[in-house]
Amino acid sequence: MNATTCYFVNAMADENTGIARGLERRDPDLFDQLIEKYQHRLLRYLVSLTGRRELAEDLFQETWIRVLERGHQYDARHEFSAWLFTIARNLVIDHLRRKQPASLDSMADNDDAPPFEVPAAGQPSAFDATVQREQNAQISAGMERIAAEYREALVLRFQEGMSLQEIAQVTGAPLGTVKSRIYRGLSALEPWLKGASL
Amino acid sequence: MNTDLHERARLLVALSGPAEISGTEQAWLAVHLESCTTCREFANNSRETIRSLRAIPITAGASLVSTTQLRVRQRAQELQLRQERLWVISICSAAVTLCTTLTTSVMWSGLAWVGQVTRLSPPVWEIPFAVLCFMPGILVGILMLARGTHLADRNGPYRE
Repeated sequence: MNATTCYFVNAMADENTGIARGLERRDPDLFDQLIEKYQHRLLRYLVSLTGRRELAEDLFQETWIRVLERGHQYDARHEFSAWLFTIARNLVIDHLRRKQPASLDSMADNDDAPPFEVPAAGQPSAFDATVQREQNAQISAGMERIAAEYREALVLRFQEGMSLQEIAQVTGAPLGTVKSRIYRGLSALEPWLKGASL
Repeated sequence: MNTDLHERARLLVALSGPAEISGTEQAWLAVHLESCTTCREFANNSRETIRSLRAIPITAGASLVSTTQLRVRQRAQELQLRQERLWVISICSAAVTLCTTLTTSVMWSGLAWVGQVTRLSPPVWEIPFAVLCFMPGILVGILMLARGTHLADRNGPYRE
């Protein structure tokens, strides 16, 4: 391990220790910072799990309340984001159990408003932007249709940039299952991508 | 070519990232993709899909963030108050236990001395001592029972 890597690893460990101490003290300023920092990532993850923006927003608030109440359980040896996402995931499962005895799969088919918004046209040429927008729209539509487990794995991997090990930790699934979900998720989205280019 | 090889190649494509697949696997994958059109197409599609996934914007609104921060602060205050109350109750309980232990031993010695001086048989002073000790608890029990009965009369029968 070179000096730069070592520096970043130590800095991350220090940050996690600081977070753990703040959570233990229930430091409101730390909570404000954490909510700001993880707002988009957490909401995106919750939307990917629930498929509904309003529900995701409710669970977003509940997640932070749960973090406040159980902050003393956070182990600074692990990434805070992984712990946060685990809490969010458990809340979603609790919510599903209350509504109906079901797994994450029950969230897969949802006829409500699309949770994945299509971005506005980007900076490139009008044609490229249109093609890209169409492709994004197709993939968004595909994300709504694929199994929730695949969707979750894809979001954690490609939107949150988590390692396979971290995804396994968050989802509580074996590493092999995580790999398989990512692969199957990408394969499941392939027809949607092709649909965009037609 | 063996189907397992294509399966393996696609899996490696899906997991692609320097931290996730080894140099040997990357080299093998590169060679495989050179020769296999289907897997190369899958790799290109996967790249496009991942790019689209990263382009999907979901952002939390400012009001959601501020509402959450407010709720968290309120809850933190509630928990703080509860903790303080628990702390006060614990201190009071400890103090009461200490005082009770001390006064009981002092009273026991005092009554024993009175019994000795007045030449009373032990049960004569031991029984009032026991009554004196248990009386506060009995009184509190009676009061709580009376209050419970009163509340039940006022609010009606208990319902689930």
